[in-house]
Amino acid sequence: MSDSDADRPTDDHVPGDDEFEPIQVFPEAEEMDLRPGADNCYKCSTCDTNCPVAEVDDEFPGPKFQGPEQWRLKRGEDTDIDPSIEKCSNCMRCDHACPSEVPLSQMHNTARGEYVEEHVDKLSREYVRNRILSNYGTMARIGSKVPRLTNFVMGLSVTKWVNDRVLGITSEREFPEFATETFREWWDERGGGQASRERARKARAASESESEGEDEGEDKRVAYFHGDYANYNTPEVAKAMVRVFEAFGYEVCVPDQRCSGTPMFANGMLDDARRAAKFNVDTFRELVDDGYDVICSCTSCSMALRQEYPELFDFEGTETVAANTYEALEYLRIHEDLDRELADSDVETPDFAYHTPCHARNQGLDGQTLEVVAAIDGVAAHDVGDSCSGISGTYGWKNEHYETSMAIGEEMFQHMDSADAETGLTECPTCAMQMEHGTGYEIRHPLEVLEAALVADSDVQQ
Amino acid sequence: MAHDTEVLVLGGGSTGCGIARDLATRGLEVTLLERGNLTHGTTGRMHGLLHSGGRYAVSDQASARECIEENRVLREIAGHCVEETGGLFVQRPEDPDEYFREKLRGCRECDIPATVLSGAEAREVEPYLTKDVERAISVPDGAVDPFRLCVANAIDAERHGARIETHAEVIDLLREGDDVYGAVVRHETGPGKQSHARPGTTEEITADHVVNATGAWAGQIGSMADLEIAVRPSKGVMTIMNVRQVDTVINRCRPKGDADIVVPHETTAILGTTDDEVDDPDDYPEEGWEVDALIDTLSELVPILKDARTIRSFWGVRPLYEPPGTGTEDPTDITRDFFLLDHAERDGVGGMTSIVGGKFTTYRLMAEKISDHVCEKLGVRSSCTTAEEPLPGSENLETLLAGMDDFGLRSPVARRSAKRLGSRSQAVLETDEPNPVICACEGVTRAEIRDAISQSGTDLNGVRIRTRASMGNCQGGFCCHVMANELAPEYEEPAVRAALDELFQERWKGERHALWGEQLSQAMLNYALHATTMNRDRDPAARSSGSGDETETVESIDYGAFDAGRGRSAGSPAGRATDGGSRANRDSNSNSRRRNGGTNGD
Ligand SMILES: Cc1cc2nc3c(=O)[nH]c(=O)nc-3n(C[C@H](O)[C@H](O)[C@H](O)COP(=O)(O)OP(=O)(O)OC[C@H]3O[C@@H](n4cnc5c(N)ncnc54)[C@H](O)[C@@H]3O)c2cc1C
Ligand code: SF4
Ligand code: SF4
Repeated sequence: MSDSDADRPTDDHVPGDDEFEPIQVFPEAEEMDLRPGADNCYKCSTCDTNCPVAEVDDEFPGPKFQGPEQWRLKRGEDTDIDPSIEKCSNCMRCDHACPSEVPLSQMHNTARGEYVEEHVDKLSREYVRNRILSNYGTMARIGSKVPRLTNFVMGLSVTKWVNDRVLGITSEREFPEFATETFREWWDERGGGQASRERARKARAASESESEGEDEGEDKRVAYFHGDYANYNTPEVAKAMVRVFEAFGYEVCVPDQRCSGTPMFANGMLDDARRAAKFNVDTFRELVDDGYDVICSCTSCSMALRQEYPELFDFEGTETVAANTYEALEYLRIHEDLDRELADSDVETPDFAYHTPCHARNQGLDGQTLEVVAAIDGVAAHDVGDSCSGISGTYGWKNEHYETSMAIGEEMFQHMDSADAETGLTECPTCAMQMEHGTGYEIRHPLEVLEAALVADSDVQQ
Repeated sequence: MAHDTEVLVLGGGSTGCGIARDLATRGLEVTLLERGNLTHGTTGRMHGLLHSGGRYAVSDQASARECIEENRVLREIAGHCVEETGGLFVQRPEDPDEYFREKLRGCRECDIPATVLSGAEAREVEPYLTKDVERAISVPDGAVDPFRLCVANAIDAERHGARIETHAEVIDLLREGDDVYGAVVRHETGPGKQSHARPGTTEEITADHVVNATGAWAGQIGSMADLEIAVRPSKGVMTIMNVRQVDTVINRCRPKGDADIVVPHETTAILGTTDDEVDDPDDYPEEGWEVDALIDTLSELVPILKDARTIRSFWGVRPLYEPPGTGTEDPTDITRDFFLLDHAERDGVGGMTSIVGGKFTTYRLMAEKISDHVCEKLGVRSSCTTAEEPLPGSENLETLLAGMDDFGLRSPVARRSAKRLGSRSQAVLETDEPNPVICACEGVTRAEIRDAISQSGTDLNGVRIRTRASMGNCQGGFCCHVMANELAPEYEEPAVRAALDELFQERWKGERHALWGEQLSQAMLNYALHATTMNRDRDPAARSSGSGDETETVESIDYGAFDAGRGRSAGSPAGRATDGGSRANRDSNSNSRRRNGGTNGD
């Protein structure tokens, strides 16, 4: 070729480039034409070798088929998607593994949406079940109004029977308990954003009296995306996030928000996901414009805001929010000298068996928790390897996937078992469920460890 | 004198296959000779456009009318080869309004259904069209698979008693006085299905009448009987994109010019083309700039093409003809009409008719006319049924496809297989044996490969054109050897190996014109995999003598040589392509003449 090498970009002309602009024409993600994304695939099969479902289920064709091959075989008029798309857990390991920038997760999410739209009977038990599971927030909102009663009912064997037989939700698992006080109730009680601003200023003042500077931290502002789970089920994680950030002098704001959409993508409920995402983007876009960075304590939530939203939607501000969203530890590691802060901390915690969630891995966050924890005296965390926990959100809750889910988790369970620890540690709430389910260990969040190391006991009371 | 056959048809392109089917179904005894596999000539190197006639609606209305008529016929009789994509003539701001109006008027005059779309409407049909589209005319263009169509014609001819000989080159015509009465054939591997590594033979086949349907090669055949046929071969380049950027045929609506059409073809889109007269239809330059120019110009219509992946490029030669004395300068001005040359009338030599010019879309009509002519010569009274009788694979297609099950295949694989096999799907895909996918890019299963092998022997290129296996983005890197594996144990190892080499060689021939970006990564990955797993980088262990002789073929791997120490492997020839330059020489003395790479810097 005469001059072609220089002026022909070789990679990444995946959808999203200027000339692609599918959005004006096809606003619906289910109708997105992702065939050009198949251009990047050179069939190396790295994605297949990294897929945890393919590893344990011979019937699953794997991400290479599911993504680039299936898209390439499509024609304009075709609507059928292979049903195996429902077996994909949306762990996104394939997306991370691909050396050639094939937009695998975008392809899976879009195909799944199309499949559900075209082929799943809207009155079927499966659809109803998936809709319930993916709209966990709605269920949780109602359930947490009367948490004790709900916990009691969910634990009843008759409830499990109905779930199992009528809805196809496995009775093998215990439903997560609802907290008696949600995070947001606590937050409001505590004085909301006003109180946070106050605390942040005090914290800054305290540290500045050491360094004798002016208050340079007025623009230290973060908007917290807590997600449904931390709100209803593990408010202690959300509280830890708030206290740790305040301790570093950040004013935290907790705006109204909807589910990140992760379970909706995974269940092909793209309409639900679109509504939720739109609300979130609208909210957080304004905050970003006001100088806030967006912080998530759940790695799947940060994944959704950073990667899945821009891949699937194009609301005004989607890219802005994506570019300004961070996972909590990641953010602190970028902006604060964590090593120094932690150098003279000293806490007594049990040893941890730490699992990196797949979605953390996708964002390049694997390893960070171990490094942070290693800096704290008195805390030891053992890595349980790079396998997938297998639950992938709502996936492992379904009868038909329960066994696959546990088979995938087996490697992690064994490693947890042989690690020198009886307590688990992970960022992801559903990985935590799986870890607990497989080992019986109690599972903590890294922010809780940081809280123990950095936040004075007196502050933890508030 | 009793002859071996009534009619001897030379050339296995669309014209020859169409004639063989037509005559055979009329009850004549037919033998068809083709030097390569079916579609080896121009038919296998064309654009795949089932013309609506729109392209000729201004310049050549007679052709346009024929096209729309045949377009309708082929949708009916060859449903499994045709995709009803529809087509658009797209006007950009700089394209003349006057021509747009002429085009529209022309379509209407020729009875071609045509509607005008606004720019926005056109972009709704094809979102990747450029934003500044002015407007477009929608016409019933279609996409046609020339391989499948020719094979279906040949199958039907065989069903009616015809003998179809591929890899059978005509090396001479039998002429006595003013009468041509047959041909001398060189069978590459003996008569019948091809079987690599079997020695060739020659055969004289006599016939009551010879039909020369060798397209751009018609002049060469003519000269074997001292007849002059002034074919003016004109080459055109086409580039295959990895995916379909469009699902509709996109034509540029302006007076004739190069690079003005994109045709969605199976999983790909094909860009084309150019029109340049060449001297020798077997030897002309294939140049990099032709590909670059094609992509650049068509990006004006579909901008995403500029950076999209191409998987190969290829060139075809039009069998243009004009009656002696016409003297047209520019090949684009030569008529696309076809000519029936009755050599008895024209040259005073009986027993042979030549057919030249024309286009793929009207192949059936051409076949009908020439068959009528041959029947008249032979005094046979019969009528043509090819416009009504569906081709094998296209019988009751609608009902069949509607009620089609998935044969235990994943849905996109089942869908593509059924589209290829049409009404033969059930017979081919219903199997009790495991039926794994062999070509993952195109979704081709073992059952389909085996069906094709039963038709074409060790000719894996014949398997390829029947199934599309190895025609996807890896260009055979991941499936050629698996296809070859299906030849065993029926065929011996040397035959399988030679068949594999030939298929690789053919894949490489087009892929080498796409070596940048992703396809370069693909080629390198293929190379590394083949070198390390199949020793296709010609480690000395592969050669029994280690002599470095270019024309030597690898009979089998000499495993002992791996243990012979470093000394031997040090002599390994550097920089040899996986697909083996060594095939080149071999090919050029057989009949699939490998073209010279020309000046493109790959
Ligand atoms: C670039 C290009 C694009 C085109 N696009 C289209 C299109 O989109 N739509 C359309 O309708 N038409 C198109 N055409 C025209 C169309 O392809 C041809 O008109 C048609 O395929 C000619 O078929 P044929 O059978 O006459 O010739 P061929 O297909 O060339 O058949 C002749 C056969 O004779 C064989 N042969 C030659 N010498 C010997 C010998 N000595 N012994 C035995 N066999 C021999 C050759 O191997 C060959 O297979 C295109 C042409 C070109 C060049
Ligand atoms: S997202 Fe996970 S389960 Fe789904 S195909 Fe990719 S690797 Fe496999
Ligand atoms: S890892 Fe990427 S390039 Fe390799 S096969 Fe999978 S999608 Fe294709």
